[in-house]
This record gives sequence, C-alpha cells and structure tokens, in this order.
Amino acid sequence: MSKFSDWFNKRFPAREFIRASMTQYYAPKNFNILYYAGSLLLLMIVLQLLSGFLLMAHYVATSQDAFNSVQGIMYDTKWGWLIRYMHVDGVSLIFILLYAHMLRGILYGSFREPRELLWIIGYLIYIMMMGEAFLGYVLPFGNLSYWAGQVITSILHAIPFIGPQLTMLARGGPGIGTATLQRFLALHVVLWFLIIAALIVMHLVALHQVGSNNPDGIEIKEHKRPDGIPLDGIPFHPYYTVKDFFGVGVWLTIFAAIILYAPTMHGIFLEKNTFFRANPMVSLPDVTPPWYLAPYYAMLRAIPNKYWGIGLMGLAIVLPFSLPWLDRNPVRSSRYRPWYRTMIIIMGITFLVLVWVGEQPPLPKYFLIERLGAAIYIGFYVLLPIVSSIEPTRAVPERVTR
Amino acid sequence: MAKTVGDMTNKPDLGRRRFLTAATSVVGVAIIGAAVVPMVESLEPTAAETASASTTVNLVPIEPGMQLTVPWQKKPLIIVNRTPEMLATLVEVARQGRLKDPDSDVPQQPPYCKNIYRSRKPQWLVMVRICTHLCCIPHYRPEKASVTPWWLGGFHCPCHGSMYDVSGRVIKGSPAPHNMAIPEYSFEKDDTSITITDMYPKAHVC
Amino acid sequence: MRKVWIGLLVAILFAGNVSLARAVTLTAPQYVFNKATVREGTLLFMDHCSACHSIHSLRYERLETDLGMPKAQIIKSIMLSSNANFLEGMRPTMTQADAKAWFGIAAPDLSHIVRAEGQRWVYTYLTSFYWDPKRPSGWNNRVVPAVAMPDVLAPWEGIYSKNGQVLHRGRLTPAAYHRKVADIVAFLRYTSDPSYFKRHNLGPYVLGSLIILSLLAYLLKRNYWRDVHK
Repeated sequence: MSKFSDWFNKRFPAREFIRASMTQYYAPKNFNILYYAGSLLLLMIVLQLLSGFLLMAHYVATSQDAFNSVQGIMYDTKWGWLIRYMHVDGVSLIFILLYAHMLRGILYGSFREPRELLWIIGYLIYIMMMGEAFLGYVLPFGNLSYWAGQVITSILHAIPFIGPQLTMLARGGPGIGTATLQRFLALHVVLWFLIIAALIVMHLVALHQVGSNNPDGIEIKEHKRPDGIPLDGIPFHPYYTVKDFFGVGVWLTIFAAIILYAPTMHGIFLEKNTFFRANPMVSLPDVTPPWYLAPYYAMLRAIPNKYWGIGLMGLAIVLPFSLPWLDRNPVRSSRYRPWYRTMIIIMGITFLVLVWVGEQPPLPKYFLIERLGAAIYIGFYVLLPIVSSIEPTRAVPERVTR
Repeated sequence: MAKTVGDMTNKPDLGRRRFLTAATSVVGVAIIGAAVVPMVESLEPTAAETASASTTVNLVPIEPGMQLTVPWQKKPLIIVNRTPEMLATLVEVARQGRLKDPDSDVPQQPPYCKNIYRSRKPQWLVMVRICTHLCCIPHYRPEKASVTPWWLGGFHCPCHGSMYDVSGRVIKGSPAPHNMAIPEYSFEKDDTSITITDMYPKAHVC
Repeated sequence: MRKVWIGLLVAILFAGNVSLARAVTLTAPQYVFNKATVREGTLLFMDHCSACHSIHSLRYERLETDLGMPKAQIIKSIMLSSNANFLEGMRPTMTQADAKAWFGIAAPDLSHIVRAEGQRWVYTYLTSFYWDPKRPSGWNNRVVPAVAMPDVLAPWEGIYSKNGQVLHRGRLTPAAYHRKVADIVAFLRYTSDPSYFKRHNLGPYVLGSLIILSLLAYLLKRNYWRDVHK
C-alpha cells in the first residue's frame, strides 16, 4: 500500500496537497457556529450539481414541453419529486448559507486587509449565484418563470446604448420562448456554472493564501511557536474536518426534513404561481421574486422611475464590493466595536424588512417602507467610513478568546 | 488553554476515538449508499415511457402475403399476413434440413409461439425485424428463388447475408446465430388488431 | 450574538409567508389527510367532477400504487372515460368540444389546482355558489365572480341566494355536505402532490438515520476537540 502511495505521490502531489491544505494548514481554534456555512455551501453546491444532472436527464427545453417535462419529473419519474425538491429547496438553503457566510464576514471584519480579494471573489460568487438562480428559475416555464424572465430581461433594456440589443440577445427573440429556454439552460448548466466553480476555487486559493480570520478579528500568525506554528491555530484536519462533518450531519437532517415534510415551505421555496403553465396573455396578480432576491426588488420599486429604480438596485448590489475600503477602524471584529455592531444589527433588520416588503404586492402603501429600507441600506455604506474613524473601541485581546 | 495542539499531553482515549471514527464512517457510507439508490433509479424508464411501451396495430389493412412494419419500443416490428402456400414452405424448408434451429429450441419466442409458425395464429407472424447477427433490418423476400435458386421465401439480411424462412428461423450457413425474436403479444377480442406488450425477456435481439 | 442571528434566519424563513388580502375570507376544509380520505374523495370526484375535469398528470395506476385501491375497482368505477388507459393520465368522460359548446370554455385540468390556488381557495370556491338569475347558467360564485361552472353539487348542498337564504334544501345537512367537499379537496390535494404519502412514510427512517449520523459525528468531534480544550 505504502509502495503504491509512494509511486503515486512521486507523480501526483496528493500527499503534499493534503499536508498544505489540511493537516498542516492551521486555522484559528475559536471558530463559532457561523463558520459552518462555508463547508456547507460547498456541500450544497455539489448536491445541486448532482440533482441538476439528474433533472436535466428528463428536462425538455422547449416552450411547448418544458412545463410538462417538469411535471413529468414530479409525477412519472421514479424519485423525480426527490431530485426536484432537492434542487429547488437547495437554492433557498444555499442563499440562507450565503447570507450567514456574508454576515459572518461583516461581523468579524473578514473583508479587511489582507482579505480584500477574498471578500471580492466571494461577493462575486454571490452575484453569480443570483444569476444562476434566476436562470434556473425560468426553466420550469410556469407562469412565474415566464414573467420573471420577462421582467429581468427587460431590466437589461435600461442599460444605456446597448440595452435593447442586450435584451434581444438574452431572449433570443421578441419574447421568452424556446430560444430563451435553450440559451438559459446552456448558461445555467455550462458557462455560468463553470464560472461559479472557477470562482469557488479562486476563493479557496485566496483563503489559503491569507488564512482564516476569526471572531476576535486578530491575526493568529502574530503569536507563533518556535517551529512557526501559530499558538492559537489548530490543524484543519482532523479538528475542523470532524467539526464540519458534524455540521454536515445536522444540516442534512434539516435539508431532509424540509424535502420530506415542507418541500414548498408554504410557497416560499417553491411559489404557487410555478404550478400554472406559462401564459404570455395572463400576467400574474403580482410578480414578486423569490425571497433571496426580494430586497433588491424592493429597492427597485422604491423609486417610481425606471432608470433611477434600476440604478438604485444596481448600486445596492455593487456597494458591498467597497466594504474593505470603507471601514477605516484599526479593529476588525464588531465584538470590540459597539457602534459598528449596532449598525450591523440595524442593517440586518433592514435587510429582512426589505425581504418582506419585496414579497408584497406593488402597492403605494409600501412605498414608505421600501424607501426607508433603501435609505438605511445605502446609509450604512455612507456612514461606515465616518463612524469607523470616530467610534470608540473596546480593548482587543492579544490572543483569541474562547 | 493548549500551548501545543496536536501533541497528546493528556492522552485522549484512542480506542474510543477509533471506534467512533469507524462507527461514523459505517453509518455515513450506509447513508450515502441508501441515497445513491433513488438517484440511480430516477434514470430508469419513467411511467410515461412504460405507458407507451405497448402498441396496438390494426390488422385489417394487411392483405394476404403482405407485411406491415411498425415502430415498437424504438425497434422495427414486422407483421406478415402469411398465405397457406407460404405456411407450406415452413414444413418444406425444415424437411430439406436447411435450418439451424427448426424447432425453435432457443427461447427466442414466448412459449406460446414455440411451433413451426412461431406465432399465436399460423396466419400472422409478429416479429422483431432485427437480424440476430449485427442488428441490421433484413429484407422481406417472399418470392421463390429470389435470393438463391432453392429459396422458398423468407428474410434476407443486406448487411452480411443472413437468411431466414418466413417464420424468421435462421438458415444454415448464415452468420446470424439465432432465429429472430418474437415479442409478447395478444389478439384483441375480435381478432382485427393485436397489442404488442413486452419483449420476451429471454429473447436475444442481436 | 448567537441568538440575534438565529432570530434573523428564522425571520428570513417566515418573512415571505404572507398572503394577499382577498375579498372573500378563505376557510380551511376539515378532514384528516390520509389514504382513506383521499380514496373517498377520489370516488366523489369521479361521481361529480370527472365528467368535465381531467387530471392529466396523474395516471390511473397511481391510485393503486399510492392509495392501495384494487385495480379491479379502478377499472370499474374510476376509468369511466371511453378512451381511458390504466397507464395513462385521468381523462374526463366528456370531450373538450362538448364542454366548449355547453359552458363556453373547456373545463380546466385539475392536476395542480391545490398547489396553484391552495386548498382553502378550492374549498371556499366549491362552497360559495349562489343562485343568480342574471347569469346564463343561473349560477354565480363569491370567490370567482361570473363563474362558468354550474354548481354541480347543488342537489346535495341545496340552493342558496346571494345573501345566504335557503331557496331549496339539499339532500345533505350542511355539515355532511362540507365533509363531502372536504374529501374532494383532499383528493385534489393528493393529485397536486402525489409524493405526499411516500415522503411521509420515508420521513422517520431518513431523519432517524441522519440524526444517528449527527450524534456519532458529534461524539467524534467532542473526542477530537478534547485535544484543543484543555
């Protein structure tokens, strides 16, 4: 066995790789529950790939048959309901994890120098995920899919100069039809997915270059043993592999419970309008996006002007890229920055309110909430440079706390 | 607080650790195994595929001596309305000793078709029109002496020259190993149509 | 801090669960959702609804495999359409052309109606018919104004005026009638979500084994992490 292993490792650096990224990769020992999100995201994306592959074995990307082929998966394919619910509920769970993962980054200042690029790549993955979710959302060609496709492609229309051509290119025709489904499928399963996969690899490479931050926001590399191992670091394998494995067990239990007992989550994970066939003649009573995109949709509606509304939405999506340069406080973690922590809590609540209001019908009575939400959201980024340079901080410990 | 992590100053219970690792692995592998089953089964034929597996064919338009080839389970299926003269050749060709398997001993047909006609009713041949050699579609050549001087009528494969009689029994000297396959079928009540339901499981198509 | 973010996640999950205010308050049907109820509902649906409505997505064979109905019973009392096939979807006995001629529109397929509209909607709709002489059919509905479908269940329900007066007493008491409609809704809920019984049967085994895995993984993690917390 070891002879084979020697032969193999001479030709392929498996042993070195495991050493460098697992057994001799030292992570801070004070990770809390939020740190499960990263490994769970990786797991969920692999599961999406698997269930997506099985769905694609039955899916027909034509405007005539797409809806029927998806219903065929639900009714006629053995275990078809399982693979579709895995794929559908998986999306919502991925976004829950993404938001937890990003919240963690903001709470503990994980986007700060030297991890700016790690944050930017991660945030790019989030934006790409929103696109991937949208592309997949159109494919079953229920009426919600149709109108979501219609609305989102018409947002492209607002881009100056090239907008109309871009919309035509996205749709492949004057409206959403077979051509749209086929290019969306090709994007969803090939190009878009490969870009996400590549970004994930880059995210991990960048992480291993700079090392993990931790809830205290201090560098474990500053206190090392004589042999160079950080005093507060523990080898990723076996300590974090067993810990993450436990997280996987709990998470899969939750995932299975949702699939088996509440696969549509009362219309939140799988909306009821997806059970009507696409109909270009019948608009929906109200077109609302899935919950994970709702905040941006709420901000889109906050301004009753097509271009300014889309502009605000675009701004809301790109602003987090600037976080590493907006935060000017020498302390990273919100544990030692009460003002910053208060801002994050207000921002978190605002985001949830925007999720809620984005799901409401487009009525004037929600305008105030939408505008207030948008103002607080933008205000967070405007105030951050000011607050972070003047806020009082608590004493930061030398070594990680438990 | 551990000054040095990884060194076993407090001697953890390694036996327990080994046991837990093994138990977790066994349960984990068992769960993965159980999860793979539905994943693979989802690729099996769907209910829609099963429902369209059987085909009903109207026999009325097929005149004596004529054939009709219909697609069935994505394979060509031939139905021949055999005349009494054609049926007589079946006895003759066996008498001349030209057949590899004259009594259809190889289960290339359901038991109810194990007779010289290889059919439920002598008049009607219902057969998968695929040569058992390399899957070509044999020509239907009912005319006498149309393939060889002694030809009594039957099927001739254009690819490698396999020959069959009008019951689809393979003639000696052909590269094909077996008689052509007969599927499971039944006549409707009034005998004017047949329903072809399944491939006979033991039959070897090609 | 832990509590804050758990609260946030829970709030995300339930934030979207808000339904539109409607003109009519929708009431939930009262039934026990099990195979017996659904079987009862299937027979009622065949008696009263299947003349016009198809359930295209559900194959007759599913009634045997999912609900345990004997095949002979399905052939005798469920497969009423002349071109019904045991392996194909449930068809209406009336043709689409007849339906168009009689009611102006073809009756919709009801495969996904409960998933699409919700069972409260279907139940309230079926119990909200009233007599309206101004309509061509004589029927109107509080949930779907100017409805095309006549109240086929009127002989059992009785006939009511718009303000709820009994114009004609039905064969069943209101309570018995509502149970009957609830059973039909239960059947339609099953056709919208035919994996329900299978999912619920699998549930305890799947969750049980995953919980065992999690417990073992927790013990393993705790064992390893003794090295760290000393």
